Amino acid sequence: MQGNTACAEGALAAGCRFFGGYPITPSTEIAEHMALKLPKTGGVFIQMEDEIAGIAAVIGASWTGARAMTATSGPGFSLMMENLGFAVMTETPCVVVNIQRGGPSTGQPTMAAQGDMLQCRFGSHGDYSVIALSPASVQEMYDLTAEAFNLADRFRIPVFVMADEIIGHMREKLVVPDTVTRDDRIPLQKGNLPFRAGDSLVPGFPAFGKGYGVHVTGLTHDERGYPCATSPSVHEDLVTRLVNKVESARNTIASCDVINPDAQVVFISYGAPSRAVEQVLHDIRRDDVGHLRLKVVWPFAESLLSRFANAETFIVPELNMGQIAREIERHTDRTVIPVPKLGGELHNPSDLARLLEELA
Amino acid sequence: MSYDEWFRDDRLPHIYCAGCGNGTVINCTLSAVDQMGWTKDETVFVSGIGCSSRAPGYIVADSLHTTHGRAIAFATGIKMANPDLRVIVFTGDGDLAAIGGNHFIHACRRNIDLTVVCMNNMIYGMTGGQGSPTTPQGALSTTTPYGSAEAAFDLCGLAAAAGANYVARYTSYHVKELIRAVRTGLETPGFSFIEALVQCPTNFGRRNKFRQVMDQIEFFKSHALLVQKADRMREEGKKIPDDMIVIGELARRNRPPLGVRK
Amino acid sequence: MRLVIDESRCKGCNLCTLVCPYRIFKPGTTANRRGVIVPELDRPERCANCRLQHLYGRTLCGVCQMICPDQAISWEEEGACEPVKVAIEY
Repeated sequence: MQGNTACAEGALAAGCRFFGGYPITPSTEIAEHMALKLPKTGGVFIQMEDEIAGIAAVIGASWTGARAMTATSGPGFSLMMENLGFAVMTETPCVVVNIQRGGPSTGQPTMAAQGDMLQCRFGSHGDYSVIALSPASVQEMYDLTAEAFNLADRFRIPVFVMADEIIGHMREKLVVPDTVTRDDRIPLQKGNLPFRAGDSLVPGFPAFGKGYGVHVTGLTHDERGYPCATSPSVHEDLVTRLVNKVESARNTIASCDVINPDAQVVFISYGAPSRAVEQVLHDIRRDDVGHLRLKVVWPFAESLLSRFANAETFIVPELNMGQIAREIERHTDRTVIPVPKLGGELHNPSDLARLLEELA
Repeated sequence: MSYDEWFRDDRLPHIYCAGCGNGTVINCTLSAVDQMGWTKDETVFVSGIGCSSRAPGYIVADSLHTTHGRAIAFATGIKMANPDLRVIVFTGDGDLAAIGGNHFIHACRRNIDLTVVCMNNMIYGMTGGQGSPTTPQGALSTTTPYGSAEAAFDLCGLAAAAGANYVARYTSYHVKELIRAVRTGLETPGFSFIEALVQCPTNFGRRNKFRQVMDQIEFFKSHALLVQKADRMREEGKKIPDDMIVIGELARRNRPPLGVRK
Repeated sequence: MRLVIDESRCKGCNLCTLVCPYRIFKPGTTANRRGVIVPELDRPERCANCRLQHLYGRTLCGVCQMICPDQAISWEEEGACEPVKVAIEY
């Protein structure tokens, strides 16, 4: 099965009932598959007039209580940024799949890249925190998309599935699990203020049409949901909570594969370049070379780096100019070697192997 | 529910300036909703950004105050995901016709079952009186200090041409007619568009020879021309003066709607 | 029924003075505590809704309430009338 189709199937298995989007290469297969399957499962597919409207419709649908998603690529992702900030501010669960292609601008529509990794974290204005997952196989396109809905509902934020053109268009064997765990959003208890959070920092969800009479605004709001845009303390409390509800849980959200934890040289990768690294490890068969493969890139859990107690060097191959390598540098005093790759092709395993030899 | 129970009492008085017509349009819309017998649990108000878009914050029903120009797109998602909800959009002229123009015409084309109430004050009120797509030619604003050089948008003509099922225009003076128009819009399956011209004494009137709130209302009263009369004048070959406001029901048709439970 | 202007909401735009068919509202003269010159009522018992709402079971006219941008005009129930001794001068 193709990666994009697996992504759509994963969403359907997770109970996604709404897809609003706009066609863009290389993500179109997701929309096509959803258009085919959603109406048969009682869901709604709507092709909007642009990506801005796509994410807007998804947020609107999410407020009716439905699990909702959209899929796009670089240029469309850029258009979505304002409304993604709105989703963060209003704590709207939604899933956005970004099949990354070469940028900036229209760039390379049919080639792979990971150039949007910082954009998904920082692209909208203001301070916030989000969750970004990075699948490295068709199986993970299915699994991580399904999991993305759980994370979105649990933390009431937009969750990004940051795949790339290679994973999206790759065909591999997919094992469909018998059941997909569902961890749905918790409804707001009647009588509680709609934006007052308990210890979890995530308030209950007051879906529209259930009698909550909730006012939802992108303005800074107090716990009642009413605009309160000039109070410094209300704004500080709100934004701090929006960031902390994700950041304080970063170690429990983290998900990764660890190979050779005693290694001195460690590859850190996510998404498609992981496959080049796996090939290198398969070819050289050395115990002193490890691999940390991130399935969750944001929030970045720096504790994962300490799993490699003997690590002296981290090598970070990415299909960009070192976006996550920069984040790793921020958290470690060991040597970090970014291996940027532009142009749309994957790292050649022999190039990575040569780099290992040069280090020795 | 009675009419005054639709307001969030703890939020009033609202932020609008003295004499602002937006409050009148909220009254008329809620009166129409009340006449329909709808409850607050089944009704959702959606808005974008601007003076007009603060309206849902004063209404007890579920409400979504969204990003600039995108209210109709959000409302489309709500209505499609749950057709049992009754979705009403409050928007302004800048919100609807400038930044949200694309969403507007596509919602008309889809004929999605929304009722859109546009408070057209012919200016960007909240940001301090800049020219909008509906600022009349020659009118003064902070960004058209020598008079607007551009032609104004005919929002109702746009909606009718794009395929809306119901289109009407009134002003904040014509409250009874406005209530009836909104009510017809609520009753109509498919896209209903009601444009309400409103006075903005602070940012439009002050710069355009309407020194008092009442001056602009008097203008609406004296320059409103019922569509039937306008049609008759056209038939007779008479010229309709440029500053006349054609009011009334401008389109009613029965195209198949979207977002209605079958 | 009695017509009342909520002084905490009225912003003094005087639109009510324009629309009332009985000219019950007239522009006020003195500013209240909030600095708003609230319109004054001139023989409000003439208001059709005051007189006839109970008889018809619905709001009659009501244009002032609709046009009031500040939701300041409403009607409230009156208590039972106190008997008043009226001296009639011939």
